[in-house]
Amino acid sequence: MAENREPRGTVEAELDPVEYTPRKRLPHRLPPRPNDIYVNMKTGFKAQPGRCQKLLDGGARGQNACSAIYIHGLGLAINRAINIALQLQAGRLGSLQVAATTSTVELVDELEPETDSREPLTRIRNNSAVHLRVFRVTPK
Amino acid sequence: MSNAKERKHAKKMRNQPTNVTLSSGFVADSGVKHHNGGGKPFQSQKESHPGTSRQRQTRTTHRPLPESDAKEQPSSRVTFRKKGGWKAGPEGTSQEIPKYITASTFAQARAAEISAMLKAVTQKSSNSLVFQTLPRHMRRRAMSHNVKRLPRRLREIAQKEAEKAVHQKKEHSKNKCHKARRCHINRILEFNRRQKKNKWLETHIWHAKRFHMVKRWGYCLGERPTVKSHRACYRAMTSRCLLQDLSYYCCLELEGKEEEILKALSSMCSIDTGLTFAAVHCLSGKCQGSVMLYRANKYPLEMLGPVTFMWKAQGTPGDTAESRQLWIWLHPALKQDILEEIKAVCQCMEPTKATVQTPDPLLTPSQEKSQVDLPEEKVGKKRKRKDDGENAQPVKKVIGDGTRDPLQPYSWLSPATGIVIRDLSMEMNRFRLIGPLSHSILTEALKAASIHTVRGEDTEKTPHRWWIETCKNPDSVSLHRRQEAIFELLGGITSPAEIPAGTILGLTVGDPRINLPQKRSKVLPNPEKCQDNEKVRQLLLEGVPVECSHSFLWNQDICKSVTENKISDQELNRKRSELLVPGSQLFLGPHESKVPILLIQQPGKVTGDDQRGWGSGWDVLLPKGWGMAFWIPFIYRGARVGGLKETLVHSQYKRSPNVPDDFPDCPAGVLFAEEQAKHLLEKYKRRPPAKRPNYVKLGTLAPFYCPWEQLTRDWESRVQAPEESPAASSPSGGESGSSRDGVPHVPEPGRTAQLSDDQGTPLCDSSEPEGVMDTDGPAGVGTEEAASQSAASSPLCVLRSRRLLRQLSAWCGPRPGGHQATQRAGRGQQGLTREACLAMLDGFPRALVWVRLALLGKGSPGPHTLICVPAEEDRLQLGRDRLYHGPQEPKHSDPFKSQIREQKEKKKLEKRLNRGRAVSEGLAEGSPAAGPQPLTPGLWSGPLPVVTSHCSRVLLGFVTQGDFSMAVGCGEALGFVSLTGLLDMLSRQPGLDRGLVLLRPPASLQYRFARITIEV
Repeated sequence: MAENREPRGTVEAELDPVEYTPRKRLPHRLPPRPNDIYVNMKTGFKAQPGRCQKLLDGGARGQNACSAIYIHGLGLAINRAINIALQLQAGRLGSLQVAATTSTVELVDELEPETDSREPLTRIRNNSAVHLRVFRVTPK
Repeated sequence: MSNAKERKHAKKMRNQPTNVTLSSGFVADSGVKHHNGGGKPFQSQKESHPGTSRQRQTRTTHRPLPESDAKEQPSSRVTFRKKGGWKAGPEGTSQEIPKYITASTFAQARAAEISAMLKAVTQKSSNSLVFQTLPRHMRRRAMSHNVKRLPRRLREIAQKEAEKAVHQKKEHSKNKCHKARRCHINRILEFNRRQKKNKWLETHIWHAKRFHMVKRWGYCLGERPTVKSHRACYRAMTSRCLLQDLSYYCCLELEGKEEEILKALSSMCSIDTGLTFAAVHCLSGKCQGSVMLYRANKYPLEMLGPVTFMWKAQGTPGDTAESRQLWIWLHPALKQDILEEIKAVCQCMEPTKATVQTPDPLLTPSQEKSQVDLPEEKVGKKRKRKDDGENAQPVKKVIGDGTRDPLQPYSWLSPATGIVIRDLSMEMNRFRLIGPLSHSILTEALKAASIHTVRGEDTEKTPHRWWIETCKNPDSVSLHRRQEAIFELLGGITSPAEIPAGTILGLTVGDPRINLPQKRSKVLPNPEKCQDNEKVRQLLLEGVPVECSHSFLWNQDICKSVTENKISDQELNRKRSELLVPGSQLFLGPHESKVPILLIQQPGKVTGDDQRGWGSGWDVLLPKGWGMAFWIPFIYRGARVGGLKETLVHSQYKRSPNVPDDFPDCPAGVLFAEEQAKHLLEKYKRRPPAKRPNYVKLGTLAPFYCPWEQLTRDWESRVQAPEESPAASSPSGGESGSSRDGVPHVPEPGRTAQLSDDQGTPLCDSSEPEGVMDTDGPAGVGTEEAASQSAASSPLCVLRSRRLLRQLSAWCGPRPGGHQATQRAGRGQQGLTREACLAMLDGFPRALVWVRLALLGKGSPGPHTLICVPAEEDRLQLGRDRLYHGPQEPKHSDPFKSQIREQKEKKKLEKRLNRGRAVSEGLAEGSPAAGPQPLTPGLWSGPLPVVTSHCSRVLLGFVTQGDFSMAVGCGEALGFVSLTGLLDMLSRQPGLDRGLVLLRPPASLQYRFARITIEV
């Protein structure tokens, strides 16, 4: 689950905070495959490359090893996602390559009314995301 | 030495018949021989003679009278003494041989002795059974079972014993053989008998095989699975799906004009606590709402409980615009109070009993029985009506048929407002699915009902006429198609938290048993379904359209017909077995049942910053009788089932108060607390005093309950007391001071002085300068406050005003110090000033605040943990050493020690006295009159002293739920603190450390640091 931070000034600029309470909803995402890793800012940094490493290495004798893993980072976690991918690459001494794509994710904010007479509103915010494909190459 | 010997002897004699004492036992023995003409009469004769000759006069009747016994005993003992020990007795030759004996008297005496001996032989004295007394070589297998294996002479006794054992055993209903008992009708009768007191849910038998069952709130509910599954259930909630049966929740239906209902109910809730019944999106029927109910016009006092509600969607086919339906779902513990209050505000006091109960001659005994039960309950108490639940067993096809009219089961009509209140509890099943996989499970298990093409001849025969009628109407068909499309879209959404909170979706589904998989499996989300982007996006943004929330479940006639026309499992299986290709899909065509259901999204965790959307899921409402038909398909798709404990865990990780535990201001909550305290006390008393914590020494005044009343009162007096003290001196220049160091004010200047009086802890010393420095307090405000508080010396309440909570939550957070912080604080919220505090306290003089506490380091706090204010030095210590665990509470002395000792001694004395009396008088005296209430060692007895200042750290509140939280990864607790205390503490803490508290479990001396947060 990626963190999404947005300067909060925009909320106050548009709507009266007395009348609406903003509530962030979870970002829409596809069902996770086993080789997907969603980077967040809550887990410790060390654990996340470790998890990726485990996926790439597979079990004790290398069974179930993924040839490619996908690291997704949203908003604040983009930096960290890139950092993780680069660390993986540096650790494997050229046997790994990274391909990056960026995208924009639509986030939905619910605006909960404070008075009975108002409808709840939703607002769409965009946030950037990065999807890094870390895959194995056979050195020539 | 001789004393011991004597005692030993007495012990041996204990079971002897009184006239055959041991010393004379030899006599008896020899007497027999003598009687039989044995060869060695001399010894015995010599011995026996003194006794017999002495007794001759008294024992002419040869009846062992009690007096004679008493006399004889010492006499025999005398002889025994004279002989110098019973061993020497037989050989004692010192006694002279009598000159003559009278044969008749002698024989008579011997005869008496023989008869006594025979009696002693037949009356066995030991505890063992007869066959156990046999020597080993005479024992045979299964002697205890079969009397005939015993030697003939013992059979009679053994027979008696066996009979006795049978009588002692619990009477088993052996009137029927096993097969007869398992017979269907008899089983139902038995089941009905067993749920007379506590009703069963439809899934009861399934649960009873797998769960620890408890009887609560008039139901038998599964508490927790018998398998070890705490973590597995958590994982199911987080990443898969947890299923719960919430059918015990009660539903009240209000029907009438919209404005009338709103007008009536508006007095019971306040907009302060959030949206009310009149919220636009709820009123349209699009969303489920939740609201806190209070007694009419009593807000913020006299809380009744939290409820959720849903309005029937407007403008649906077959609905007049005039009358609207409102369902209020509530916890059974709250039902009594809320129902009474709603009846009062709607002025609905007239029970409508429109139906005459016509007995059906073709009823099975069980039905007849339930029919008999029903009117009794109806007439007796208008309490919980759960009667039809017993008939709603899955084994019963016809449910509640003929017993009553389901339209007006328990309803009240108001002539003035025209509102009809119906009690619909147990009319519907409510299953809750929690977790991201609930979408996949729902879409996999349920298939929207197929549309019938109209065929005229069918309509009369098939039982599902309502569906055929619906299918004739093109509008309804298109609505059904749209609902189906939306339902299918759900499969492509990964988490229920992505959907607008409280969304309601109505649907009509086919029989879920038809496409039951062969084996239990786990569904996985289908990635192909997730591609339909545009539609999904629209659903996420706008939610389900209003008209799609329509369901036939609102219509009771249809519900009734659906319940009645359910094909039994047996029938279904028979049809399945008749399939040409075994295992292929069963096709029932128009005979397949169509079940109207309602799906309600549960938003999960919406407050706070982290873990958003955790524990979100769907509630499924079903007509009654269909519980098991939906339950098993859900489980076969990989849902894990949780019980009441999982409900508690769910609410704890969501950080929401659990019903009814966490509502100390509502009657159900108070009752719960009392019961819990009683239960815990009993449990505590079952352990020996040395093996249980001494709470007096640990300084825990109330380990089993939370004295909220006293806590708030103490804080009130604590704050008020210093008003008289002369400390208030400096003028109000607090604004600048507060902006400088983040400690705006100390509302009660003289508090420190009082503190130092109470206890000589360093807390006071360190806080003294601060108090002096920041003191301000125009006396006028103080007196005003005092006046207002004394005027409103009201009972306890919990602060639920969202505005105030938001403000408090802003104050609680640590504020990065400096000017910027205060500037930012000034933007939306007020700063933490004395005026603001006073304003808040003015409205809520004795309030509690629901807080969440996250431990900084180790520790997992349990319920009743104390929340305390850290002293200045604790904070300094923590600042120096980040790994500092926290201070320790010094051991308290036990003021009850002497009393308990006295009590013990008195008891001992009494015991001794009693024994003495018993010996002297021969009968035990009745137990002495219960004196002053006996003390329980280790517990504080009598009225509690001032709770806040009993320990070295000032008490702020109590934890009500707490454990190691797997969602956060550290100890986490939820509880209430006193509002007065919280404001006081916050205003004394500097910016960075603001919101730090100490937690101490009741059975420990170690305080641990935690951070307070208030989530709105």
